[in-house]
Amino acid sequence: MRKQLLSLTVNGDPVELAVPPNYTLQEALRNDLGLKGVKEGCSEGVCGACTVLMNGAPVRACLTLALEAEGADIVTIEGLSKEGWLHPIQEAFVNLGAVQCGFCTPGMIMASKALLDRIPNPTDDDIEAALTGNFCRCTGYAKMRVAVRTAARELQEKAQD
Amino acid sequence: MPQQEYKLVGKSIPRVDSKAKVTGEAVFTADLELPRMLVAKILRSPYPHARILNIDVSKAKKLRGVHAVVTGKDTAGEKWGVFRYTRDQQLLCVDKVRYVGDEVAAVAAVDEDTALEALELITVEYEELPAVFDAWSAIAPGAALVHEDKPRNINVEVKIDVGDVDEAFARCHLVREDTFVAEEESYFMTEPYAVVANSHSDGSVEVWMPNASPHTKAKALSNALRIPLSQVNVRKITIGGAFGGRSDVFPAEFITCLLSLKTRRPVKLVYSREENTIATRKGHAMITTHKTGVDKEGRVLARESVAYLDGGAYSSTGPIATSVPFLCHEQAYNVPNVRFTGYRIYTNKPIGGMIRVHGRSFACGIDTQLDMIGKELGIDPVTMHLRNARKAGETTPTGSYVASCGMTECIEKTAAESNFLDKFNNPQPLRGIGMGVNSVQTGFPLGIRGGSQAFVKFHEDGGATVVSGVVDNGQGNDHMLVLIAAEELGLAPDDIRLISADTEVTPTDAGSYSMISTFGGGNAVKRAAEDAKAQIFEVASHMLEADPQDLVAANRKVFVRGAPDVGVSIAKIVRQALLMGRPIMGRGSFAPEVDQRREWITNPRGQLSQAFSFGATVTEVEVDPETGMVKALDVTCAQDCGFALNPMVVEGQFEGSVAFGGHGGMLSEEHRWHGGHCLNPTMLEYKIPVMKDMPRIKPIIVETIDPAGPYGAKEAGMSVAMSAAQAYCNAVGNALGIYFNHFPLTPERILDAIEKRKEGQGIRTAWEFQPARVIKTDDGT
Ligand code: FES
Ligand code: FES
Repeated sequence: MRKQLLSLTVNGDPVELAVPPNYTLQEALRNDLGLKGVKEGCSEGVCGACTVLMNGAPVRACLTLALEAEGADIVTIEGLSKEGWLHPIQEAFVNLGAVQCGFCTPGMIMASKALLDRIPNPTDDDIEAALTGNFCRCTGYAKMRVAVRTAARELQEKAQD
Repeated sequence: MPQQEYKLVGKSIPRVDSKAKVTGEAVFTADLELPRMLVAKILRSPYPHARILNIDVSKAKKLRGVHAVVTGKDTAGEKWGVFRYTRDQQLLCVDKVRYVGDEVAAVAAVDEDTALEALELITVEYEELPAVFDAWSAIAPGAALVHEDKPRNINVEVKIDVGDVDEAFARCHLVREDTFVAEEESYFMTEPYAVVANSHSDGSVEVWMPNASPHTKAKALSNALRIPLSQVNVRKITIGGAFGGRSDVFPAEFITCLLSLKTRRPVKLVYSREENTIATRKGHAMITTHKTGVDKEGRVLARESVAYLDGGAYSSTGPIATSVPFLCHEQAYNVPNVRFTGYRIYTNKPIGGMIRVHGRSFACGIDTQLDMIGKELGIDPVTMHLRNARKAGETTPTGSYVASCGMTECIEKTAAESNFLDKFNNPQPLRGIGMGVNSVQTGFPLGIRGGSQAFVKFHEDGGATVVSGVVDNGQGNDHMLVLIAAEELGLAPDDIRLISADTEVTPTDAGSYSMISTFGGGNAVKRAAEDAKAQIFEVASHMLEADPQDLVAANRKVFVRGAPDVGVSIAKIVRQALLMGRPIMGRGSFAPEVDQRREWITNPRGQLSQAFSFGATVTEVEVDPETGMVKALDVTCAQDCGFALNPMVVEGQFEGSVAFGGHGGMLSEEHRWHGGHCLNPTMLEYKIPVMKDMPRIKPIIVETIDPAGPYGAKEAGMSVAMSAAQAYCNAVGNALGIYFNHFPLTPERILDAIEKRKEGQGIRTAWEFQPARVIKTDDGT
């Protein structure tokens, strides 16, 4: 299949790629840009491990065609920490034991980021609604809920400073 | 040392591996990229049972971009089995295929599309054979044989008979017999299986894959590939969950290595979600008949259990899988007279392996039946469980001494915390409460390995590197090892580097299955650190002019007990040791005290495991009788983990166990089949719990300080996973006044049971199943 040109912004950097039209955003990010934090758990939009932000909204990179991201602003887990400083959501996941095997973690954190960007002070129902499409087989989700609540508080305090 | 003196263990601190996991830095197998790497794909059998007449790969070989095609011809029919007597799986099928998904051929090509196209160009001529899909039809006389040399398709037969069961039944006040059935469940670890193999011109091959024992994988690959063990180097990699499903050796790694050796290039194989489900392992479907006799007080005097496990096409860990449900139960309960006959039956289905809840129908059957007996006798479940609970200092029927046991405490604490009796005695409509208890081993001998060894070396700045064969599947073993070393050496976790699970470098280890890592690997690292510390103290004693016995290591320093201000830094001691030509190098080894003569089939007696964990879970649910949907409200779980090395991590294990064993395991998770085809191999159709499903979980850590565990630790989580399954099942039953005996409790089953419920028929199970009986084979045995 003939490749087509694609330009987008990934984690703040402008990127130009040539991709086949049937290429997914997941393939472009993982294979062409080496962003392996975009996980592949099911390739059919179910597990949420590939969640990235596209123009601020959470999308499943495995269900998104790369060419759909033309001109878009994409953020992956690799773009979340700045100069070695963890984002408060990452910090909370680490400190509160919300990480076990870690395979679901990037997707879970990106989905949490999208939630807190939209609803800075989420209720438990908001958290459930935002994260229920992200599968975790290890944790039983209990510590993730606490981590997201804690990160929300942290972010709000930061915003007030 | 009294617990309060510990600096690190016993405290909730973040796992050392979590930073790399929240930044996307952690590399899993499918993330690996190597120069000139090829992509592998496997051609699988479309038939449940067929003879292979011919395989033509000529067209596939000619396709541009294809570098190698392999079939059974390239393997000399090499077979794998966990035990010498269970070697029944060809790594690439030669003569027959035995399940839909069996490996027939494989290709390595420049990219995925080319590899897939090549698979389509391979033509295989099959002669279809009659097939068997469940235990009952497989054991029927005259049924098609999955393996010709196994009459009645009996793969494994385990027989245990302790005490005088028949005499004890005759003395019983009440005897019940009930049959319980459970369907297959699956792991659905979030990471699909993947292998990368890289062969080198010196004849060696490096392999990366999710695994539960790098050393076991290396040994099997060395045998199958006929390469010296020292040349098969299984490397460390981040692993996305195991739950028992990564314990075995699969054709995948063998095939990937073979392709890499043939092409002299790195090769990557990544399983699809479907392949992960059908071509790794799954849980066993199981039919169990329990006959239980009690005295007037509800004490179990005798029990006879017969179980049929639907094993699928090959043995895998068959003798273990068949035995462990019974063994967990004999640990959990004090049953003086007991007889168990377990059969693992071959069928033309994917292969059964070990999974988080060992034998749903067995475990849930025991506790459901105990509730039924309690009901007949007018005794509540808490009292029934307490009266039959295992206690420290006792010996199990098959001869394992139980050195530490907090079962009673677990039962009492979960009952008190959940207000069990109050709720049980004052039932609310459609609400139910249930309790389950269980116990698991902390490692058992597999006959293929010893214990665990570890090294500790020091850097000139006083930091240390720990070298251990223990693998981390996601549960936090890396953290556990670092924490123990740091505690012993008076260092911070950040001062410790860890090299683990790399067979070229790390000494042997038992693997992370059977919950042995903390008990075995943790103890080995502790001993290595103690050894290094003794060397440090020896050098420091000259520097501080003190007796080594009076020295303490803490805060990166060594000082005389009681005088922390006048110490010397460990860095300085390490450099001094180098000057003296005595570099600090700690070595440690630990082999659990188990009876090495014990064997799963021929000799199931003797010390099985040196320590056992015990757990109790209480679940509260609400059931909608219109839809059959269950809403779990609260779960209270307690486990005697010996000592919580890191309470936050232990709680996380408990919570995950409730989700896997209890919530998903009992309410939704099962495979459905049609003619040997799995109808729900993907995450879309197979329902694992999501965040919305999960109830509040109250974890309770019970500590008994096992005399042999590191700091008294045993294992974290498995007894919760198993007891949670039992608790969910009893809670749903309690809500409806139905004793369920077909698991999991899906809405369809719950509605069916409600419809079939008949009042006034006494205490009976929801469905009548044909009981599992001892099988009489033709030769009269
Ligand atoms: S990999 Fe995209 S949702 Fe699972
Ligand atoms: S931490 Fe393992 S899947 Fe979530």
